[in-house]
Amino acid sequence: MIDTVLASLDTVFLYVFAGCAFLSAALMLFLKEPMRVALALISCMVFLGGVYGLLGVHFIAAFQVLIYVGAVMVFMVYAIMLLDPRDESMKVRYSHFLWPGAVGYVLLVEALTAGIWNDLPGPPRGPAGEPFSLKAFSEVFLSEYWLHFELTSVLLVAAVVAALAVIRVNRKDPRG
Amino acid sequence: MLADLLVSVLFIVYAISVLMGFGTILTWVERKQAAVMADRIGANRAYIRIPGTQVKLVWWGLFHGMADGLKMLVKEDWKPRTYDWYAYAVAPWVVFTPVLLVFAVIPFGGTLHPAHLWAPLAGFFGDKSYPMQIATLDGGLLIIFAFSGMTIIGAMLAGWSSSNKFALLGALRAGSQMISYELVLGLTLLGLILIYGTVNLDAMVRHQSGTVLGFLPAWGIVYQPFAATLFLTAAIAENKRIPFDLPEAESELIAGYYTEYSAMKMGLFMFAEFIEIAIIGALFTTFFLGGYNLPYMNDAGFAFPGGGTAALPHGAVVVTQMVTFLAKVFLLCSFQILIRWSLPRFRYDQVLMFAWKFMFPLALANLVITAVVMWALGK
Repeated sequence: MIDTVLASLDTVFLYVFAGCAFLSAALMLFLKEPMRVALALISCMVFLGGVYGLLGVHFIAAFQVLIYVGAVMVFMVYAIMLLDPRDESMKVRYSHFLWPGAVGYVLLVEALTAGIWNDLPGPPRGPAGEPFSLKAFSEVFLSEYWLHFELTSVLLVAAVVAALAVIRVNRKDPRG
Repeated sequence: MLADLLVSVLFIVYAISVLMGFGTILTWVERKQAAVMADRIGANRAYIRIPGTQVKLVWWGLFHGMADGLKMLVKEDWKPRTYDWYAYAVAPWVVFTPVLLVFAVIPFGGTLHPAHLWAPLAGFFGDKSYPMQIATLDGGLLIIFAFSGMTIIGAMLAGWSSSNKFALLGALRAGSQMISYELVLGLTLLGLILIYGTVNLDAMVRHQSGTVLGFLPAWGIVYQPFAATLFLTAAIAENKRIPFDLPEAESELIAGYYTEYSAMKMGLFMFAEFIEIAIIGALFTTFFLGGYNLPYMNDAGFAFPGGGTAALPHGAVVVTQMVTFLAKVFLLCSFQILIRWSLPRFRYDQVLMFAWKFMFPLALANLVITAVVMWALGK
């Protein structure tokens, strides 16, 4: 009895985490205050990390939390902390793009189900192989994907420089 | 299956009680050690009177921790008319929980072999062995950084949601300081990863049970003395204690980001800080001081540099390893409290300057030199 419960515990947690991730993602869209939205996004990231962990790729889970929560969201929270809570734009829940956005979402889901879902390989048959280890990940990462990674980081640096430039346009003192 | 569950639950209970125990004891150690350093008597007022007699048990003030806990539990949980009740309620837990979770990947002992411990256990456990660690994961180090990054968000949320200017300033300071020192913390450990070739903490500890140059124990601090110093400094800054206590800065910001917290919510922040002292001690022990092993010790017993060996029974090894780990952690906690009560202090701009213009380049240089040496040695 207890053995079957323990054996299916992974699956139960997988569904719980996936459900919570979906719920927080939905909350992120419906909430109004920026800090709540950020918190919903953080919990979504953490639950996604949990999903990765349950699928056996612990270091991807760690990266998920480390990068998205520990780095990206920290900066977002930092920026939101400095917003003026009395700003008029925070009183409206949705922007003018609500309906175009909703239509776009439906189209995206359609495209995903039609294009990708059908091509997905089915669940693996037979006994599961070795879990994807950190070593295997590093080898693939440094041999096949290093260029993509470097390009992304160049793009990010470009974005930072662009952001600085945008801020400085409106400044009188050129030294900032 | 049931045996695995039992062992896991045992380990979790052990880890939580060790951390809670350290948290409580350290509040007392902090006072008593400060008193010793300042040539005072220190905490000695809290006592338990044996009912019906006039015998008062003072025990060097050890009951002060209990008195503190009781006081915080029964105090009024005063709440400000905050801007955001949700973030205000969630923040102490976001600070406190990850600190506990970090311990999940720290090995607090070698391998436990229940059947070798006591023969009748073999019937239940079979011939299984368990590494004494809650979660044996190959990316342990990454998980430590993932969790310790989350506490930053808690500190910032606490300051922001209080809608108090002192708290907000404290939160901003906490955010910038922790982000800066987190980076240094990561860089100091990269050299160790190069040497050990793994991010699995248990493998790191096992790597340290040999010898280097024939007689020195192969501890991280021997390979990377420089990184060890930087790591401890950055870790203390990460914990926001003196000399890096600017986010709390009593003389400037009342209590910084938790100014508006009272009763046990404030207690959680304090408790998280004390537990983090123990966590820093545990991390430093694991990375740099050979973890749970005594010098020249491994799971089988001792292997001395001269070639002599001394085999120990399994039970003795397990107990020695657990006690060694706790003793090392306690010594490091005491060392951190020693630094705190020598009362050095930075100015806020100096704190950030110190991180970016002094520690960061040093950590980077240390990493580059390590990489070059490892390459030259052909590893």
